[in-house]
This record gives sequence, structure tokens and C-alpha cells, in this order.
Amino acid sequence: MNRRPIWLITVLAAAATLAAACGSSGGGSASKGTITIGGFDFAESSVLSQLYGQALARDGYTVNYKLRLGNREVVAPALKAGQIDMYAGYSATELEYYNGKLGEASSDVTATTAKLNLRLQPLQLEALTPSAAVDQNAFAVPKAIAQKYNLTKLSDLAAVGSQLVLGGPAECPTRPFCQPGLEKTYGIHFKSFKALDADGPLTRAAFANGSIQVGLVFTTDSDLGKLGLVVLQDDKHLENADNVVPIIRTKVATDEVKTVLNRISANLTTEELITMNGQVELLHQDPDAVARAFLQQHKYFGG
Amino acid sequence: MSVLASVWQWFADPSHWQGENGVPTRIVEHVQLSAESVLIGAVIALPLGIALGHYGRFGNLAINISNVGRSVPSFAILVVAFQIFGLGDLPVILALTALAIPPMVTNSYVALREVDPDVRDAARGMGYRELAQLFRVELPLAVPLLMAGIRTSAVQVVATATLAALIAGGGLGRYIIDGFGQQNYPMMISGAILVALLALATEVSLSAVERLLVPRGIRLLMAPKMRRATSFKVA
Repeated sequence: MNRRPIWLITVLAAAATLAAACGSSGGGSASKGTITIGGFDFAESSVLSQLYGQALARDGYTVNYKLRLGNREVVAPALKAGQIDMYAGYSATELEYYNGKLGEASSDVTATTAKLNLRLQPLQLEALTPSAAVDQNAFAVPKAIAQKYNLTKLSDLAAVGSQLVLGGPAECPTRPFCQPGLEKTYGIHFKSFKALDADGPLTRAAFANGSIQVGLVFTTDSDLGKLGLVVLQDDKHLENADNVVPIIRTKVATDEVKTVLNRISANLTTEELITMNGQVELLHQDPDAVARAFLQQHKYFGG
Repeated sequence: MSVLASVWQWFADPSHWQGENGVPTRIVEHVQLSAESVLIGAVIALPLGIALGHYGRFGNLAINISNVGRSVPSFAILVVAFQIFGLGDLPVILALTALAIPPMVTNSYVALREVDPDVRDAARGMGYRELAQLFRVELPLAVPLLMAGIRTSAVQVVATATLAALIAGGGLGRYIIDGFGQQNYPMMISGAILVALLALATEVSLSAVERLLVPRGIRLLMAPKMRRATSFKVA
């Protein structure tokens, strides 16, 4: 019992020394300023924060991370209050958050981001150029089903939907992006709906025991391939454009900062995001190591 | 008032009373899950509790062990069982059975212990053998407390069977979970009301069963004591 405090102190001291060392080395000799990056409480958000953050650090900024803060209801107010300077958001979802759910978002990423910037301006905030990487709702089917009915896109489902069971979160039957949207936009009428979760363990279990044939998933989900699921293409653009986009305080967003961040966004694709998510979620690697590898691959360090 | 009105409207809507998501279907699912769990629980708990009470040994041990079982949240059992067995009724029945066992073990143990020692001695003296003494003297006297245990279990299980909806199962919990997800609060409240009514109905119908099971002579003889014992659930 007596030894524990000493151990604690030793460990804490070591950690503090390490942190101090890292902080000073990261900033280089003359820091261009300090930028604090916040993140949502899921792995992908940490990966994105690290990508943007390490690129900024490489450019000479001192970067602080406040990752896994919580959901948007936590992160966005922190940005408005200046507790963080930026976070990696998703165009359509950000727009619907900042406009109070007016339903302005569409599948057009440029229009959606333009509308988002109109909402952000009075708050002294700014959305930068969105990336091509998209994390949005999608619908997946098992490979066997896809082959049996020859399915590659959602419109293929219209003819066979009445033989299939749809699985998704409990709110799916009432949300425009889910069952009502599939009925209205694609004319798909499913045999029935099974209330599960949003691309979580229940959906996986339901796919595994065959109680659903079509399920709601997210496009950047890393283990869909491993589970033998095929994402059907949203060929009639039902889903809103949830492209990755940095949301940043105008005061911090100098031309140089924007250039650095936009270069990351321009280099990032959905496939690369899926790979990085997989490295974090399935292989349990650190988000910062995964992000560093990506930046090295794209020649950010010494390139 | 508006909440009450919207709940009333929910109940009044005929579309909520038919189909695979209708109230009758959900009640049947709910009763089926609960009944299976209580039955399995009874098959395990009653012989155990009765044997321990009859011999009067290891009683504290059994009661403490079964009380430990009670302190494990049903939700935790459900999640772990889901990880092992996947979707379906099995994880739900496991969690509910674990909930059903402790009150039945405790009550049946106490019920047998509460039998007047003089009555036991008299039975022995009249030449009853062990099993005959148990089945013809002790058990009839123990029925009121035994049934109180079963009733407590059943009511708890009916109220907790709503958990099934958390792992995509059926039952009345569907309305609560779906109502929450869809922000359809009238549906959610209606689901909660239905569960409460079903739990009450369980209590009432098991009381009726109890009245049928207690031999008339014993009922009259023990009337005051019985009432005390059942209302003071030793659980």
C-alpha cells in the first residue's frame, strides 16, 4: 500500500517529462502559433484530427489535441466558445446542425458546403474545401444476396425488395434518409423492417444469422469487406453529402493554415479513410501512427 | 394533458392493434418470453429451495449465492449472452431466468422452514415416510409462500422482459425502444403503460392460481398467518 503513491508519482513525472519533450520538439524552434484540434468520440474522428494536426505541426504550428470530446453537441459549442480552434466535420451533418435541422443539406457537396458557410460566418467560423472522402449512410447486402439478385446499386433493389428484410436503427422507418427515402426515391418496398442499431453489433449479428438481407451501414466502415458485405451504390443520390470538411475559427484560418489543411483534404479519399479506420479499429494501431504513415506515404515529411 | 391525450390517441389508433407490430402480437411475444423464463427458473429454483428448506441445511449459503445472482444486472447478462449466442430469444431467456431464480429459491426455502416443527413431528409420529411427509404435509402448508416467490419472480420478469428489444427482440419493449429512437413519445409511454398493466395482470392471475392451489382446510386454518406471510414477501 505504501509503495503505490511513489509509483504513481514516478509514472506521472516520467509522463510529464515526456510530454514536455514532445511539446518542445513538435513546435520546433519558432512556432507559428498554437492550434487546438477537437474531435468526436469515434476512431475516424481521431484519425482525421491527427492527419490535419500533424500536417499543421509539420508546417511549424504548435498543435494541441482534444480528441474524443463527445458528440457534435459537445464539440461544436467548444469551437464556438474558442476552447478548440477546429475540428474535422462532415458537410451535410454540420449544415443541419448549424441551421437547426432545416433540411437544407443535399447530395450536392458544393452547394451544401456553401450553405454551411453562410451559417458559420456570423459565428466567426468557416468550413474549408471539403474532401472527396465521404462518411455517409449507405445500404449493404451480403455478397451471396448481391450475386443472387445481381445487385450493384440501390435502384437494383426495387424489383426484389419485397423478398428482403431491411435492418437499421429504430428511427429508420421515420427518417427521410432511411426507409421512407428508399421507398420514395427508389421505389423499394421491403418485406419488413427489423429495428437494430446504426451499423453496430446488432446489425452485424442480424446479417450473420440471416434475419436481414439489407442493412444500414456507414461508407467508411472498415470491416464491411471482412464481413462479406457489399455496399450498394446510391445512384439516385438519396444520401446527403457528408464529405469530410475542416470547420475552423476564422481568426485561426490564415491563408497558410488553409493551404495546409486543404492539401490534406485534397489527398484524402474514402478508400484511404476506410483503410486507416481499419488500422485503428481492427488492428488496434494508434491514430497518430496511422496518420503519420499516411502523411509519409504522401510525402509530407521531407518530401 | 396533451401527453395524456396523445397517448390516448395512440391507443385509439386501430393500426396499432394489428399486424406484426400490433399490440396483440407484442403482448403474445412478451408473455411467451416471460413464461418460458419463469418456467425454466422454477424448474431450477423450486426443487433446490424446497430440498434445502426440507433438510434445513446450507440454506444461508444458497440464499446468499442466489442473491449474488440478483445483484448482477440483467442487462449485463443480456449483453454477454448476446456476444456468445447472437441474435434471438436465448440471450433474453438466460438473462430473465437469472432474474427469476433468486426470489423463488429464497421463498421456497423459507416456506419449508416456516412449517411448524410440531406439525413435522406429528407427521413423523403418525408414520409418514420422508417423501410423503414432504409432499402431503410440508408442501401444502408451504404453498402460500412458495407462490409468493413465484409471483415476485413473474412480475419482475414481465417488467424486465422489455430488455429483449435492446437486442432486436420482440415484446412490448419494442414500443419503448422504437418510441425513443423515433422520438415518438406517445408510443414510448403507451409501451410502458402496457408493460405495467401486464405486470399487474400477472400478479392478479397468479394470486388466483394460488387460491386454487391452497387446500381449503389449510386456507381457512391459516388465513390470518397466510395473509401476513404473503404480503410480507420474504424475498
